[in-house]
Amino acid sequence: MPGIGFKQIKMKKIMLLMATLSIVHYSCTKEKTDYEAEKEREITEITDFKEVFTVQSGAYSIRAEALNGTLFTGYNTIRLKVTDTESKQPITQAELSWIPKQKLADGQLTSGPHNLSFSFVQEEGNDSGYYAGYLVFLRPSIPEQPWEIHMELKVNGKRILLSQQVEVQTQRNSNLGMVEFIGKDEKSYLIALVAPQKPEVGENQLIAGIFQRVDALHYVSVEGYRLELDPRMPEPSMGNHSSPNNQDLLPGDDGWYEGRVNYTMTGNWTLNFILRDPDGTLIKGSEVPKDFTPGVQGVKSELHIDILF
Amino acid sequence: MKERLLSYISFLPSCISISPSYISILLMVAGLFWSPWSHAKVFETDTSKRMDEVNILSQAKKKIETDLKMAVTVDEFLASSQQISFIKRGAYAWEPLLNNMSTERSVITIDGMHIFGACTDKMDPVTSYVESNNLASIDISSGQQGSMHGATVAGSIDLRRKATPFGQEKKWNGQIQSGFEANNGQQFHLGNLSYSNERFVADASMAFRQAGNYQAGNRDEVLHSQFTKFNSSLGLAYKISELSSLRVDALFDQAQDVGYPALPMDLWLSRGLISSASYKRLFDQGILKVWDSKLYFNAMEHYMDDTKRPENLVHMDMPGWSNTWGLVSKAHLIKGQLSSEIQLNLYQNLSIAEMTMYPQDRSNRTMFAYSWPWVHTQYAGISLSNAWLLSERSQFNFGGSLGWNRHHAKYIEFNHIFYPEAPQTRSRILPALHATYMLKLGPIQVSTGAGYGQRSPSVSEAYGYYMYNSFDRYDYVGNPNLDNETSYELHASLGYDTPTKGIHLQANHFWIQDYIIGKILSMGSPMNYQSVGVKGYTALKRARLFNLSMNAHYDVLTHLHWSGKISYARAMDDQGNNLPFIRPLSYETGLHWMHRKFGLRAYVQGDLAQENYSPSYGEDYSPAYQIWNLSVEYSFNWQKSRAKIQLGVENLFDQYYSTYADWGNIPRMGRNLFTSLTYSL
Repeated sequence: MPGIGFKQIKMKKIMLLMATLSIVHYSCTKEKTDYEAEKEREITEITDFKEVFTVQSGAYSIRAEALNGTLFTGYNTIRLKVTDTESKQPITQAELSWIPKQKLADGQLTSGPHNLSFSFVQEEGNDSGYYAGYLVFLRPSIPEQPWEIHMELKVNGKRILLSQQVEVQTQRNSNLGMVEFIGKDEKSYLIALVAPQKPEVGENQLIAGIFQRVDALHYVSVEGYRLELDPRMPEPSMGNHSSPNNQDLLPGDDGWYEGRVNYTMTGNWTLNFILRDPDGTLIKGSEVPKDFTPGVQGVKSELHIDILF
Repeated sequence: MKERLLSYISFLPSCISISPSYISILLMVAGLFWSPWSHAKVFETDTSKRMDEVNILSQAKKKIETDLKMAVTVDEFLASSQQISFIKRGAYAWEPLLNNMSTERSVITIDGMHIFGACTDKMDPVTSYVESNNLASIDISSGQQGSMHGATVAGSIDLRRKATPFGQEKKWNGQIQSGFEANNGQQFHLGNLSYSNERFVADASMAFRQAGNYQAGNRDEVLHSQFTKFNSSLGLAYKISELSSLRVDALFDQAQDVGYPALPMDLWLSRGLISSASYKRLFDQGILKVWDSKLYFNAMEHYMDDTKRPENLVHMDMPGWSNTWGLVSKAHLIKGQLSSEIQLNLYQNLSIAEMTMYPQDRSNRTMFAYSWPWVHTQYAGISLSNAWLLSERSQFNFGGSLGWNRHHAKYIEFNHIFYPEAPQTRSRILPALHATYMLKLGPIQVSTGAGYGQRSPSVSEAYGYYMYNSFDRYDYVGNPNLDNETSYELHASLGYDTPTKGIHLQANHFWIQDYIIGKILSMGSPMNYQSVGVKGYTALKRARLFNLSMNAHYDVLTHLHWSGKISYARAMDDQGNNLPFIRPLSYETGLHWMHRKFGLRAYVQGDLAQENYSPSYGEDYSPAYQIWNLSVEYSFNWQKSRAKIQLGVENLFDQYYSTYADWGNIPRMGRNLFTSLTYSL
C-alpha cells in the first residue's frame, strides 16, 4: 500500500530532522568565563628578580636586583649582591648602607624611605645569598631629574662609596601604590602598599609601610600606629559595597604594618584608611558612611588608595 | 505463566510506585478522585501477551489534562494536585511547592533522572524543561515515601514521559493540538507521533508556545510577562528479546525572551538537553520480576537578560550552567504477599553561575564573581520500598533509603569571605525510613504512617554567593557549615467511597530540625543594585509544618457531577514566627455535566485572606480572592479520527488578584478566553 509507505518514510525523515536539529542547536552555547584568565587579566604576578644595575669600585662590585629588573614608584624589594671582583667570591660579611637621592628642578635634593641597615639572607640550595633591602620612590625619574642611589660598603676594614643612576618608572599596578599626605599633627606622612602584589578574591594579607618625613632626606617608619581599614567598591553600580571580616593594619615584624583585606569580587576597590597614632589620636582619614548607595559614586575617606585587580 | 507475570507487573506499579493511599497520588485524567484498588482489578484480568512498559498503567487515557482545560502546561497540570502549590514569578515556569515546602526540600525527577536547574533565582525549575505532550503522567509521593528517588523532606515529584508499548495494534498514532488564549495572545501548537511494531517503537513530539504580556484584572498590562518556548523529544526503543528491551531518549527544550515581571531581569535564553539510554529486562521465573537501568546525561544552561529593564542602572550578565550525569537502576521483586522495589541512584552534578557587573563607564573594568562557584555534587544512594499485602483489606508499606552526598566547591575562596574556615569538600550520610498502614473496610479506607529522613543543604544553601532574592530584596549567601535537615513526619488519611459519592481527608505533620532559612547577616554589605542587605542561610533549631486537605465528589444526577476540595496549612519556627510561603485556606468547588458528545464544566476557586503571613521573612498580607471558570467541549469524528474542540473562560468576572505565592505581589491573569482543538490519528 503505497500510501502508508510514503507516510512512513516521511515520518522517518521528520524524526531524523528533529534529531539533527536538536544536536545542531545544542552545539552553540555561550562560553563559560575562564576564571583563571580573568584573574590574570589585570595583573600578571612577577616573581623573578633580575638585575637592575651592577656598579664596581676597585675590588668590589655591587649588583642590585629587583622584580623584573625594573624600579617603580612606591615600594620596591631590592637584593644587593656584593662580590669581590678579583676572586669572584660573594662577600657575606659586609656592612652596607645606602640612600636614594633625586635632584629636583629647584636644585633641592629629595629622597625616600629605605632600609637603614642590611642583613644577609642565605639563599636556599646554593652558597649564594643577598643583602635584603627596600626602596620607596616618591616620584618617577625624568631625564632632567634622575634618581641616584648612593651606597656605602664597609668590608675588611675598608670603606667604599659607590653610586649609580637609575631609572624609576611609574608603577602601573595600583596594588603597590602609595599616598603622601600631611597629618593633623602637621607632619608629612607616606603610606606605601607592599603586599599583595596580586590580590585574590577572598582573604588577602595586606602589608603596608607607614613612614614619617623627618626632612627631605630622612624618613622613619612610624611605631605603634594603627591604620584602620574599610575597603569599598566605589563604582556607582556597586554602591560603595564593602566586604566583611577585614582587619586593621597593626605593627608586625620588621616595622611593617599587617592587616587583612577581603575582596568579594574582582574590580575597582578603594582602600579607605584612618591613621591613628599610639594614643588613638586621628592623624588623617574620615569615616565612610555605611549606607549602600547604588547609582552614585561612592564616598571615600580623606585618606585612601584606589586599587584594581 | 506469562500472563500471570504480566499481570503481576501491571499490578506492581499500582501498589509500589503509586502505593494506593492518599499519600501517594498518581494523577490521571479520569478524575481528580479515584478508588485506590481499581487499577489492580483492571490489570489482574489482563491477558495480553505483549511486552509492556511497566509504567504504562492505563493505556486508555494518558493525556495530561485538567478537567477544565485540555491542553494545559505542565505547571497547570501539577496545580490540579492538592499537595502542590506554586510560587509564581511570571507567567512562565512556576516553582512547584510540595506540601508547602520549597524545591530544596523535594526531589524532582524526570523518569527517575535527577535534574537541577541552572538559575540561582529558580527561574528554571525542572518542570519548565518538559512539555505536556511529552509526559504521560506525574507521580507524586509525599514525605519520606518520596525517598525512593533520593533524600527528601517534602516528597518527590516524578515526571513520567510517554513511552508507547511495543506491538500496538494501530502502528501509527499521533495527535496534534492547537490553541489560543486571548488574555496574553498565547498560541500553542503541540504534536506528537508514535510508531510501534513488534520490535521497534519510536516516539516523537514537538511543541511550540508563544505569548505576549498578559493583562491583570483591571486590564492593566503586566509588562515583561511574555515567553516563547520550543520543545522537542525523540525516543527510540528496540525489543532485543521477548523479555528485554533497549531505549534511548533525547529531549531538547529551548525558551527565549521570557519575561519575569517579579524579578529585576528576564531570560534571554534557556536550553536544556535531557538524554538517556535504558535497558529493561523482565524475568519469567524467580523473585526478581523486572530490572530496569538507565544511564543519563542532562545539560541546562540559562542566560539572564536585563537590557529590557531601563530602570536598571546596573547591567549584569548572569549565566548559569548545570550538568548532571547519572545512573538509576531499579529492580522489582515479588515473593508471595510482599512486593519490593529496590533502586540504586548515582549522580554527579556540576553547577556554575557567574555574575559580571558592568561599570557605568564602560571603559572601566568589569567586576566578576561566582554565584555558584563551580560546585560538584556527588550522590550515591540505595532505596527500598516494600508493599506487604497483609490481607484482602489491609496493606503495610514500609521502606527506607541510605544515601551518601558530597559537595565540592572549586572556588571556595568566595565562601571563605563569610565563613573563613569552611571546608572545600563535605560528605554527608542521608538516611530515611517510612512506614504506612492501610486498611479498607467496605467503602471506608483508612491509612496512617510515619517517616524519618535527612536531606543535605542544596548548592545554593551551602555555597551560594550574593544571590539576589527579589522577594525580600536581600542578597543571600550560602553557608558551607550547615548541617543536614532532619525531618520527622506523621500522616493519616480517611476516605469514604461509593460509586456515586465520596469524601477523603488527609493530613500530615512535619517536625523539622535544623530548618534552613535565610537570616540577616549584619556584617554583609549588599552587592546587587536593588538589594537592601545581606541574608545568610542558617539553621533554625526546629520548625513545624501541618497540611490538611479534604476533597469530595457527588453525582447529583447521572450526568451531573459535583466535586470540591479544601486545603489548609500552617507552619511555624521555634520562636512561634510563621514561616513564609504557606498557603492560606484555599477551596475549589465545581460542577461537570456530560451528555453524549458535549461536556460542560464550571468551577469556582479561591483562597481566604492570608492571616498567618510572616513579616520577619519578608511576606506581606494577601487578601482573599475568588475566581470563576467555565468551559465547554465537544468531541466529534473527522475523517475516521477523533477530534475535540474546547472553548472556555478563566476568571470570568475579570477579578484583579494576587496570591500569597506571587513574588512581589504581581497580579495574576484577568479574564482569559481560551480555545483549543485536538486531533488524534
